[in-house]
Amino acid sequence: MTPATTDIPAVELRGFGKSYRLGWSGGFIPAVQALSLRLAPGQVLGLLGPNGSGKSTTLKALAGLIAPSAGHSLIMGHAAGTDAARALVGYLPESACFAPHQTGREYLRYCAGLSLLPADKAAPRVEAVLASAGLGSVADRKMATYSKGMLQRLGLAQAIVHEPAVVLLDEPVSGLDPEGRLALVKLIRDLAAQGRTVVFSSHLLAQAEEICDRIAILGQGRLLAEGTPAELLGPDRRSAAGPSALEKLYLEKLRG
Amino acid sequence: MVETSQGSGPASLRRVRLIASHTLAEALRLRLSVLLGLAGAMLVLMALWLRDFNFGATELKFIGDFGLGAIGLLGTLLAALGTAHLFFSDIGSGAIGCVLTRPVRRGEYIAGKLAGMMALLALFVAALALVLAVMIALREAQLGASFGPLPVFLQACALVWLKVSLVAAMTLLVCSYAGSALFASCAGLLLAVIAHLRPFTSADGWLVFVRLWPNLGLFDIEPWLAGGGLTTAGLLGLVGYWAVFILLLGGLASYVFKHREF
Repeated sequence: MTPATTDIPAVELRGFGKSYRLGWSGGFIPAVQALSLRLAPGQVLGLLGPNGSGKSTTLKALAGLIAPSAGHSLIMGHAAGTDAARALVGYLPESACFAPHQTGREYLRYCAGLSLLPADKAAPRVEAVLASAGLGSVADRKMATYSKGMLQRLGLAQAIVHEPAVVLLDEPVSGLDPEGRLALVKLIRDLAAQGRTVVFSSHLLAQAEEICDRIAILGQGRLLAEGTPAELLGPDRRSAAGPSALEKLYLEKLRG
Repeated sequence: MVETSQGSGPASLRRVRLIASHTLAEALRLRLSVLLGLAGAMLVLMALWLRDFNFGATELKFIGDFGLGAIGLLGTLLAALGTAHLFFSDIGSGAIGCVLTRPVRRGEYIAGKLAGMMALLALFVAALALVLAVMIALREAQLGASFGPLPVFLQACALVWLKVSLVAAMTLLVCSYAGSALFASCAGLLLAVIAHLRPFTSADGWLVFVRLWPNLGLFDIEPWLAGGGLTTAGLLGLVGYWAVFILLLGGLASYVFKHREF
């Protein structure tokens, strides 16, 4: 295992591009173009952008589910998708629906086993993530009976059960009620406090502004703005009424 | 942090075993498995009512042939439809993303899925064979006649399982690149039909390509019985033939699946 060192970025995209083929007729549609980002270990990056801006594609490339058409995607210096990189990554797909007949505990044990957690470490680790996700009391219930919020928290739990250095979350708070959203935001904050690098995509600007060390705004597959909230928004980040500074910047960048 | 030993054999086997047992648990809850199991049991029992249409064979032989044929037919359906359904439900639900972003190799995923399906098919064949064996035993007692030695019956059941597990491997190969469960199921069944076409091919005919494909006709018990039964060498030869094609189809599916994006 490569130790996390400060000079190796936890997450790096170098001129990353991804195009999808348009059926048999040929032709490609670019989903992401020339995206370059570096994220130090322990930072939280929020990928913001409208539907189709390339957020999920970027996360999938970092998770190793798709290969770049151009450039490189790296996790702790390892090419995304390699054994070494995948051992360092936890991933929550958008709207994941797990085996409904299984209990939450059974599913997390399965995930821990796939990540090769030693048996003596897996059981306490599963209990710990169940507790941190607030699912301890429902851990033995079938997942078919879980609410959307519970499933999202279980999704996050499976992404961190093996204690990955980098956690990738695709729209983790979408479709959640305010209570569920707050619980998930707290979990992301806790991960950052533990020194894990978190990259998540979201439409919710206020929460991104609150929990991110860095923010990247994507539009039509291109990076429109990137930096710390302070760099992007200046010292006067919140106005008393109306849209926040991040909302203003977001709309301004998307409208060109 | 995970202690990586992902490349080692025991670790790899552990992941394959986990995926296989997960797949089996999923498969046992499939309505399709239950429905085909019930349909199989009914079809096997129907041999009793259809025994008048025995085409001159003795009653016990007819019941045995009819029952084993029903198990083979429904097993083929379960192999093609079940494999495609389980594979694409993982993709459709997004659960595959949670598996493949872990240190699980694509080949391990394919091997686990195939092993899980083969375990389901083994249970399916064993359960229906038990129904058939009980029915034959009851008729033997009533008629005072003998169906034949038990090892031959067991060999026939084993051949049915070898055959349907090859159909599962063929379907999995299609799944590795196909876009939908419907296409993969239909293609899997078509490939199973093609695998029965060997008697209709000649070395210079247009069906010559069929000779590259597994010959499922080899797993029919009748020709072996006509030749005096399946010898140990014959059985080992068949198992070897099966193993070669399982490895080839599984390896090809893994290779294709390795380049698939989600």
